[in-house]
Amino acid sequence: MTGGSSTEGVAGAALVQPSPWFEARRVGKRFGSVVALEEVDVAFRPGEIVALIGDNGSGKSTFVKIASGVYQPDGGTLLIEGREARLRSAKDARQAGIETVHQDLGLVDSMSIARNFFLGAELRRGPFLDLTRMERETRKMLVEIGLGNLRAVGQEVSRLSGGERQAISIGRAVAFQKRMLILDEPTSALSIKETETVFEFIRMAKVRGLAVLCVMHNLVQVRDIADRFVVFWHGRKVADVANTGQSEKELAEYILEGKLSELGIERSSLDTGTLRALMQE
Amino acid sequence: MAPTPAAAATVSSRGDTSPAPPGGSQPVAGGWQLAASSALTRLLRQRELGIALVAIILFVLFSLLSHGTFDSVQNWAAIGSATAELGIVTVGVSLLMVSGEFDLSVGANFAFAALVMALMIHDGYPPLEALGADIGIGIGVGLLNGLVTVMLDIPSFITTLGTFFLWSGVTLLVTGGQTVTILNPPGVLTALGGSVSGQIRAEIFWWLGAGLVIGLLLHRTVTGNWLFAVGGKRFAARETGVPVVRTRVIAFVICGVLAAFAGAVQLGHLDSMSASFGSTYQLEAIAASVVGGCALTGGRGSILGAMIGTVVLQMLDNGLILSGVSPYWYESVVGVIVIAAVALHVRIGRLTRGAEQ
Ligand SMILES: Nc1ncnc2c1ncn2[C@@H]1O[C@H](COP(=O)(O)OP(=O)(O)OP(=O)(O)O)[C@@H](O)[C@H]1O
Ligand SMILES: [Mg+2]
Repeated sequence: MTGGSSTEGVAGAALVQPSPWFEARRVGKRFGSVVALEEVDVAFRPGEIVALIGDNGSGKSTFVKIASGVYQPDGGTLLIEGREARLRSAKDARQAGIETVHQDLGLVDSMSIARNFFLGAELRRGPFLDLTRMERETRKMLVEIGLGNLRAVGQEVSRLSGGERQAISIGRAVAFQKRMLILDEPTSALSIKETETVFEFIRMAKVRGLAVLCVMHNLVQVRDIADRFVVFWHGRKVADVANTGQSEKELAEYILEGKLSELGIERSSLDTGTLRALMQE
Repeated sequence: MAPTPAAAATVSSRGDTSPAPPGGSQPVAGGWQLAASSALTRLLRQRELGIALVAIILFVLFSLLSHGTFDSVQNWAAIGSATAELGIVTVGVSLLMVSGEFDLSVGANFAFAALVMALMIHDGYPPLEALGADIGIGIGVGLLNGLVTVMLDIPSFITTLGTFFLWSGVTLLVTGGQTVTILNPPGVLTALGGSVSGQIRAEIFWWLGAGLVIGLLLHRTVTGNWLFAVGGKRFAARETGVPVVRTRVIAFVICGVLAAFAGAVQLGHLDSMSASFGSTYQLEAIAASVVGGCALTGGRGSILGAMIGTVVLQMLDNGLILSGVSPYWYESVVGVIVIAAVALHVRIGRLTRGAEQ
């Protein structure tokens, strides 16, 4: 499924481009001497799935953490609906309507599934936690993602398999989603069938008009889901293009462009094998 | 904000790995064993169970060995009031341990706060004001521990090792090592640690009250949920929007307040205070918490467990004497019990979590 590409003619491009819901402008972040992000501009529109791709360490997760309020950018601005937004914490981002599945899943192993599900957004009854309602809602969510029969919500997350954890983390973000859904390599621990499930969630978020940012490593899978590709190289954005049915090789070329020019290799002289080898490095 | 599950699709990501046990149509015995073992697992999942077993075994043992003096009402009133001060300190220490931190300054805080309170009463300040100063010192000591740990980003073990020496030194400076005695204890002191009826003293109720309030806070409120999250996996807590810094500092403050309050209770009990009182509490409180099921690495533990842990330590102290064993054995036995109890908790945890690490 490719997005937007089938619109005929030049008029199509100008036709319906909703204004961005979330925008990063000239965002930068360093860790000591490491420049993780440099002057990055990306815009996210309602109902559009943006796939963020790039080499290991190219700054994808750093960008995700800035967009979700976990890290503060050193420079640049974030805009929500055109207005400057300060996301001082993950709580600010969640309140603004941004839900995130982090690469480390954001789960506390020593806590129950239900407590994890509502972590940072606990249900209360007076001054106390409403554990009964939290467990009931969590059970509903487990049924929806197909873990209903298998798992008791009072169980510690430490007992779950990698795939189950990922499902819980995604289920949580999907359940709370409001305006934007961010997923950092959500399918890395999943089988093909489970990946298709996650893609179904992502497409549903798109249909409901959410802006979606999805970090992906797998260049074959990402072509099925993305409307647009944003490519990072060493903390900089090196490509931002609509999904027009590019091949896996073309995507790899975007990712490796920075490296190729460093090495002085002509892009046209590459074959898929060399690309794969470069990707492995 | 209630979740609005968006997904209408019924997805079976894992549904195909059927959990149905192969023994579904087996003889009744198999099913019964399965049910019994899952009930046992559920029971064992209560963190308090291991320590409760230890307490019961010690109780039976000492009752037999002491020829009826150990399990008398008077003796338990004595155990209760001897447990109370350390018990109040331990309630705070165990909450702090759940959040993944230590406080080695509780003993110094205990003595310093109570000595200031004693001096103020001695010098004619209103007793409630003196109690306020005690609590204020507890807040200040806890706040300092928390802020230094968070802002300098150093292990709390180090911060509180430093503040332990700091406040011990200040206490000696202020008192010159003297014991402060209050000859006509005011009502406030009686309410804190006086006799309620016979051997039963007020401090038992302060201990139980502190346990109830802090137990509810830790296990049943949002703040408690955050304490577990911060101690279990700090970065995940941050990623979900838990105010990590505030939660960590709150834990230090609660621990500091309870240590200072325990000092006030001690003063109420003895009507005198010395810089050396409570000087071993930091280690005993950690021992009691660990015996009661608090994980040294944070994220796991219970207030009830820590309270039973404190009673177990006190039972040892008291029971050894009544059984005619030299009281000098106490510390050695505590050492063995700490190791045995943690080994037990680890095994129970593995059993119930099904982990084989
Ligand atoms: N907390 C941190 N402290 C120091 N350096 C960091 C930190 N987080 C990221 N970095 C560095 O910033 C750079 C970008 O890292 P980031 O995690 O954003 O990459 P990524 O594109 O998500 O990589 P991957 O595909 O491996 O997940 C790397 O060089 C990394 O070492
Ligand atoms: Mg990453």
